Amino acid sequence: MSGGPYNYSYIFKYIIIGDMGVGKSCLLHQFTEKKFMADCPHTIGVEFGTRIIDVCGQKIKLQIWDTAGQERFRAVTRSYYRGAAGALMVYDITRRSTYNHLSSWLTDTRNLTNPSTVIFLIGNKCDLEAQRDVTYEEASKFAEENGLMFVEASAKTGDNVEEAFLETAKKIYQSIQDGRLDLNAAESGVQHKPSTPGRNNLSSDNQGSKDNCSC
Amino acid sequence: MPMCVLNLQRSYKYMMYATKQPSLRINQADLKCKNGCGFYGNADWNGYCSKCYRDHLGFEKQKKQGQAQLEKQKSNAFTKFEEKKKHQSDKKSKFLPLFRKPSNLKELEKPHRNSDLKHSNPDADKLMAEFMLTFGQLSESLRHDFFKYIQVFIKRIQTDINMNKPIEDVTEVAQKYYNTFNNGLNTSSTFKDLPSDVRDQLLDFFEKYVMTILFSSLFCPNSTNDEEKDLIIQERIRKLSWVNAHHLDCCISETSIEVRDLVYTAITDLLGMDSVKAPLDKLNCVVKCCRSVMEVLQHCQGGPASADEFLPALIFVVLKANPARLKSNILYVTRFCNDSRLMQGEAGYYFTNLCCAVSFIENLTAKSLNMAEEEFDAYMSGQITCVSAWESALVACEGMHQLRENLNILKDLSQRTTIVQEGSKMLREDIEKFKNELNETVSVVMERTPLVIKPRKSPISLNPHHEQSGGATDVSLRKHDFDQSEPENLNFYHQNLEIGHLNDYTKENLQLDITPCTLIAENASTISVEPTPEDHSHNSFGLSKINYDIDFSDFSGENSMVEDLTPERISLNVTPDPFGPLGTSSAIFQEPLVPLNTSLNVQEKTDSAKSKQQYVLPLVEKLETTLLDEDETDIQNLPSPMKPMSSYSGFSKQGLQIPSIPCNTGDISYLNAHSNASTSSKDDS
Ligand SMILES: Nc1nc2c(ncn2[C@@H]2O[C@H](COP(=O)(O)OP(=O)(O)OP(=O)(O)O)[C@@H](O)[C@H]2O)c(=O)[nH]1
Ligand SMILES: [Mg+2]
Repeated sequence: MSGGPYNYSYIFKYIIIGDMGVGKSCLLHQFTEKKFMADCPHTIGVEFGTRIIDVCGQKIKLQIWDTAGQERFRAVTRSYYRGAAGALMVYDITRRSTYNHLSSWLTDTRNLTNPSTVIFLIGNKCDLEAQRDVTYEEASKFAEENGLMFVEASAKTGDNVEEAFLETAKKIYQSIQDGRLDLNAAESGVQHKPSTPGRNNLSSDNQGSKDNCSC
Repeated sequence: MPMCVLNLQRSYKYMMYATKQPSLRINQADLKCKNGCGFYGNADWNGYCSKCYRDHLGFEKQKKQGQAQLEKQKSNAFTKFEEKKKHQSDKKSKFLPLFRKPSNLKELEKPHRNSDLKHSNPDADKLMAEFMLTFGQLSESLRHDFFKYIQVFIKRIQTDINMNKPIEDVTEVAQKYYNTFNNGLNTSSTFKDLPSDVRDQLLDFFEKYVMTILFSSLFCPNSTNDEEKDLIIQERIRKLSWVNAHHLDCCISETSIEVRDLVYTAITDLLGMDSVKAPLDKLNCVVKCCRSVMEVLQHCQGGPASADEFLPALIFVVLKANPARLKSNILYVTRFCNDSRLMQGEAGYYFTNLCCAVSFIENLTAKSLNMAEEEFDAYMSGQITCVSAWESALVACEGMHQLRENLNILKDLSQRTTIVQEGSKMLREDIEKFKNELNETVSVVMERTPLVIKPRKSPISLNPHHEQSGGATDVSLRKHDFDQSEPENLNFYHQNLEIGHLNDYTKENLQLDITPCTLIAENASTISVEPTPEDHSHNSFGLSKINYDIDFSDFSGENSMVEDLTPERISLNVTPDPFGPLGTSSAIFQEPLVPLNTSLNVQEKTDSAKSKQQYVLPLVEKLETTLLDEDETDIQNLPSPMKPMSSYSGFSKQGLQIPSIPCNTGDISYLNAHSNASTSSKDDS
């Protein structure tokens, strides 16, 4: 997947969270493989995927952690929140209970990530319009109230899946540009890599400037 | 004898499996190094133990030396570039001299230090706190030496990483340094006197600390394809999700709840491996997981598990757990965990087993699962999808979880309902109690101090049988006179009659019906006297008296008729609650001065005269009746039309009726009619 060790300049760490069976693994699979995994086994603990994307001309490697929705593994999955630059919070538009649990997922996310973490709400399975149980308006209101980005997507058709991941990356990249996200912070969830496929500690100017404030 | 057979069977089975690759059953010898040195080997070390593997590598390396030389020359260009950069950054850093500590050592280290050291590392901080807790009693110089070792190690490794050395080389450096440090512990004057367990602890802490700091550079390094390997095995395990305990020829019962819980524990332990940073901690997770697997087996078999059964069970757990970055973790531990820990002991044994399990999963075929090729392919391609007992148990688990969650909510709700119900019951009891208490108190008070209303003046002068008719007529006549001659003086009378509107002469519609009664009681003395200013000032007094008539609840001495009672009587100061329960305040009968059944339509003046008539009659007839209970008749001789009404229910109820009292002051004519009527009625009697 990755053509070489340094063909990207940033690594963004994502987590995907949400109730069991909302389609988190399918979303990740759709994003990384562009395929729908119809009979996806339940995730135990965490799985991960990567993909290199292009944001504003920068190559960014997304390292995405797909967590298990099952309560039993909450202790395991919680350790992955730390240092996530982006959090995709997924619910199933055909199952209201998954929407109702969002607030508890949100609380977890807010508690365990840093304030600069971008949270994106995804209403999955929007291909199943006939079985819809949560209206777009309601969820969009929830997202607005909580300052989340929001989109309805389908891991099956691929609708809006790409957008959700890319928009999150854009927002994170903006945060870096604005200086809101401190790359040097221990848990920023973003790693800067020199884009030159070179040797040695070409950790560039960045490294140098970092030297200044270390004491 | 049976033991022999069993052993034979086992070895037969093993041989059978051994013919195909890979096998589920592994001979203990297979876990050991290919070189036969007695240490545990590892698939990632080509079956050697780490030591032999490195020796082997060194051999290979020498062959490659020439190549490496070439590469070095190539990279020289980069080194120069890098030095230039470094120079620049040094320059830059001079702009901020304030932030630099003038420590020479630091200055030296600076260019080599990696971001890991510069920025706070919470895990390292935690370890540091731990260190101070465990080794706080050690001498300062010892600690200083210890951290010097750490500094040197970190610096060395970072240099290597920055030079982009292959990870194998870094590994070798690290392992060599572990050795050096170990030797230093055993020989240097500072450490050698420590007890051996403290030295062991120091060795372990050394590894934990440096690896926690270097984790991000050494775990899944960019120079390797570890991550790809992770993704491959993750995908493979996902595809193998249909494999169950039966396929693996292992005795784990997937349907038993207890077994499932134990398997979950094992899985969780294994998953924890990815969350910790130090190789030793990762190794500990493996050990914990394997111990749990042993427990599972013990539970399933009802006895101690054999090593033979262990591997299939571990494979099952690994398949079900699909641990994140499995390969990276294994490689990281094999590379950077102190060899001396990895090659022997329980940890070494279990870790080797885990490596075997992983390599089994990587290479397994239809044969290794003892199933037909077609079936296997069908499963792998997803043509056959079966929901395994395990999978459904997982779903059921979540269902159970939801159920439990909901049950908890229900329980909570029912608890709260009970609390509310109890509260309301208590409240009801309290109300009842209070009511009873009140009743009791009131009746006690009533018994103690019966309300006696004494006539203000001796009724003798107003003897209804002999003089009243004359007196009453007198009054009304006089009043009539006043009305015509001196309207101001009339106020005097009306002030005695009206409620709250005494001075409002123009309020024509309000005329108290009690005129005769009050007049009789009041004017018996005053009527004969010419109205004087004093009398006017006395008006308010008269008003209060009227007030008293209207509202018995107001017993304030000055304003009530009670003032005229004898001192004993006045003790009836206890104010009965006008809002009290019906009937409880029955001792005080407060009537609106007009019998209830009397129509008091003020507007219809024609009727009012009639009603006056109806009204006046009782005054005459019931002159001797009491205001209070019948049995208190002896003290009750107030000439009042106030008829005892047992239905008295306080002022609030009464209030409704008060405004309807006809107070037709404007129309004086009725007074005549009234007095006439009373006269006539008197005549009648
Ligand atoms: N129709 C439809 N089905 C979907 C979609 N996304 C996922 N599914 C189905 O939903 C089920 C669950 O999807 P998963 O991706 O395994 O759900 P998950 O969130 O990863 O669940 P856990 O790993 O247990 O937390 C699968 O059977 C998918 O086929 C979608 O967009 N449309
Ligand atoms: Mg999943």
